[in-house]
Amino acid sequence: MKTVHPSIVLGAYTWEQDSLPRDEFQIRCKDLYDAMDQNGWKAMFIYGDADEHTALAYYTNFVPRVRWTIAMIPREGEPRLLVSMSSRDMPAMKLMTWITDVISGWQWEAGFDPWIAGLKGDAPIGIGTIGMERMQPRLFKSMEKSLGDRFHLSEAQGFDDSKRPLRPRELSLLRESCEVVKTASKAMVKAWRSGVNAEAAVLEGERVARSLAAQDVRTLVSLDGGKTLVPYRGEFKPTGDDIVVHFAVKVQGFWSELFVSASKGPNRYPKVEAALDALKTAVKPGAVGEDLFSKGIQALGTRAIHPVLTNSFGRRIGLSLDEGCPLRADDASPMVAGNVYSLHTGTRDDKGGGIASAMVAITANGAEVLCDSRDALKD
Amino acid sequence: MARDVRIDETVKYLEKEGFDAMLAACNGQNLFLDSNVVFVFSGVRPIAESAVIIERSGRSTLVITPGWDAERAAEISRTDDTLGCDDLADGIERALKKIKLNPAKVVTVGLVTLFAETAKKIEKVLGGKRPANDGFASQIARVRNADELAAGKKGTWIAERGYERLREIARPGMREFELTADLYCYMKGMGAEDNFLLLSASQHNLAVRASGHRKLDVGDIILSEITPCYKGQFVQICRTTVIGEPSPLLREKYKVLQDAMHRGQEKAVPGTKVKDVANAINDVFRAAGYGKYCQPPYMRVRGHGLGITSDRPGDITDDSEVVLEEGMVFVMHPNQYLPETGYLMCGEPVVITPQGAQSFSERDAELDFIPV
Repeated sequence: MKTVHPSIVLGAYTWEQDSLPRDEFQIRCKDLYDAMDQNGWKAMFIYGDADEHTALAYYTNFVPRVRWTIAMIPREGEPRLLVSMSSRDMPAMKLMTWITDVISGWQWEAGFDPWIAGLKGDAPIGIGTIGMERMQPRLFKSMEKSLGDRFHLSEAQGFDDSKRPLRPRELSLLRESCEVVKTASKAMVKAWRSGVNAEAAVLEGERVARSLAAQDVRTLVSLDGGKTLVPYRGEFKPTGDDIVVHFAVKVQGFWSELFVSASKGPNRYPKVEAALDALKTAVKPGAVGEDLFSKGIQALGTRAIHPVLTNSFGRRIGLSLDEGCPLRADDASPMVAGNVYSLHTGTRDDKGGGIASAMVAITANGAEVLCDSRDALKD
Repeated sequence: MARDVRIDETVKYLEKEGFDAMLAACNGQNLFLDSNVVFVFSGVRPIAESAVIIERSGRSTLVITPGWDAERAAEISRTDDTLGCDDLADGIERALKKIKLNPAKVVTVGLVTLFAETAKKIEKVLGGKRPANDGFASQIARVRNADELAAGKKGTWIAERGYERLREIARPGMREFELTADLYCYMKGMGAEDNFLLLSASQHNLAVRASGHRKLDVGDIILSEITPCYKGQFVQICRTTVIGEPSPLLREKYKVLQDAMHRGQEKAVPGTKVKDVANAINDVFRAAGYGKYCQPPYMRVRGHGLGITSDRPGDITDDSEVVLEEGMVFVMHPNQYLPETGYLMCGEPVVITPQGAQSFSERDAELDFIPV
C-alpha cells in the first residue's frame, strides 16, 4: 500500500553492524559477482530512489533519503556510491553503508566519469544494471553521454523479482519490524478506544513507532467508516464508531504492515476475518496466488473485495512494502519457503468497510504467522 | 482564486504558442526543493505518478494513480474532471480520447521527472516526443498568492511551536531520533502534512543531518532545520540550541550569522539579483575573516526556494542571476561552519517586500540554550 511520499525519509538509518555485519554484505554481493562473471560484465550499477530502493539497500545498506543514489560495484576494485545530495551531506551519508567511497552525484562528470575510466577491458565494456527503469530520463541522458560507445549497459535478469528466501539475519530483523508494528498499532487502537478521533489515534501509533526507532512510517486512514482510505489530512474530525487503518513501519530496513479495523459496535464484516483465516490456513510452499485468490473470494461470499486491495489478497513484503508476487486470480507463481507474505482481505458496502491482514513467513511445511490484525485489538 | 489566474496564464501561453493543451506530470515523489506540477494545477499531492491536462479552453483533467485514490483526489482537486487509473500512460490515453484532443499539439511539463519507462509510454501515447517547457509551473507559481502566504505563515507558526517543544523536552541522555519522533508528530498534530526535519547534535558539528541513534549530552549544540509543510506550503526555520550555557566565544560567533542574516534581508528587495543577496551575506563572513569558508562543504547555499508550489527563486548563491520579485517566498539561512565552533544555523522563511525580506517568524533565530 502506498501513501503520499514524504519529502524526506527521516528515520535513524545508521548502519547497525551488530545486526548486519560486513560479512552479511559479502555474502549478498556474491549474487552480483556471479552475474558479472556469467555475463562478462566489469561492473554493475544499482539504481534506487527515496521511494523504491530494495536492491540498493540489500547490497549496500544505503537508503536514499531524498532523490536518487547509484551504487557502482566493480568486479575488481573499490565500489562507489553516487548520492544525489550536496557534498556537505556526504559525511552523514557514509554512516549508512559499508561502502567507503560515497560522493555527491550533483557534479555528475566529476563523480561518474573518473570511476568508469578505471574499468579496464576491450570496448564495449559490459556493465549490468538493476533498477534503471526508474531512472529519470534527464539523469539517464547524462549517464549515456558519459558512457559513450566504450561501455554497454545490460539489464541484469533475476534481481527484481527474485525468489530469494530470506536469510536468518533478515528474518530476525523482519520479526523485530513486526513487533514494532504490533506495538504501534496497539497504541493506536488504545488511543482510539480512549475517545480520540481516527487521525489522532493513527498519529499516536506513529509517534510510538518512531520512538521505537522505526526508520519510516506510512499510514492510510478511513474517514468514512472504511469505504475509502486516505493519506493524512490533519483535519482531526470525529469519524464515528469504526476505524480502519493501514499501518506500515520500516525497522532496520524491513517493512511490516497491518490493516486494522475496529468498531465500537458489533463487527459488521465477520467474513473479512473468516477470509483471512482461510488464507492463513492455505499458505504453504507451492501454494499459488490464483488458488489463494479463489479461497479468499469464496470466504467473502457475496461480498466484493475492497477496492483499495486492487484485486489482490496479498503480496510479498520485506525490503520493499511491495516485493511483487500479488495473490491475484492470474498469478501462478508458487510460494517458496523463506519468503514472507502480507495477506490481506476486506470488503466494503454503502455503510462502510472492513479490512484485515497478517504477515506470514513460509516455512518448510506451512507458514508461521508473524503478526495479525487481531494483535492490535488485544487489550 | 489562484487556480484561475494560473490556468488563465496557461491558456494564454497555449494560445500564444499554438498548442491545444498542456500535459503536466509528476512522479509522486515530493521534494521540498522542487515544484510539484500536479499540485500547482490541481491542489492534490498525489500518491504516485500523476498528471494534469489543461486544454486551451481552460478545461482541466487530473489523471491520478493509483486508481483507488481517485475518490480522495476528486474531492480535493480544483480540476474540472478527475480520472483514476493504475497506469498513468493508459489513463492519459483515455483522458485524451475523452476530450478528443490531438496529441500532436500538446506541450509537456515534467515528463523528465517521470520514471523512464512511464515517460516512454506517454511519448508513445502522444505519438512521439512533444515540445517541453519543464519550468513552466514553477515560473507561473513563483509569486505566492494570498492563500499560499497565509498557509506559509501558519506553517511558520507550527515550526516555531515545534522549536518551543524542542527546547522544552530535549535533555541529556535522549537519543536524537527520539527527539525527532516527538517533534515530527507534535507538528503533524498541528496540521503539518510533511516535514523536511533535519535534527542532529554534536560538540562540534560539521553539518546538519537526519537524526541518528546518538544520545544528547551536555555541551552539545543541537542543530535543527524545522521544515513543516502546511497546505502545500513548505517553510523552514533553522535553529541552534546548546545544552548548557553557551560559551562567550560561541555567542560572539553566532552574532556573525545573525548580522549576515540582517544584511541579506536588507539587500533582498524587489529587482535585486539573488547573487547580490548572497554576496551581501558572504561579505559579513569575509569581514569577520571567514571568506574561505563561504563555499561547500563549509556551507551549502545562503537559502533556497521552498518547493511543491514553486522552487523559485532557487538557490541563494553568489552566481544566481535570478531577479527577486515582490511576493516571492524562500528561506534565507546564512548557516555556516566556523572552525572555532563547528556548523551553526540561523534562518527564517521570508517574503520579498519593498522594505526587504520580511521574516514570517514571530521570533527570529537566537542562540538558545537548555539549562542543565
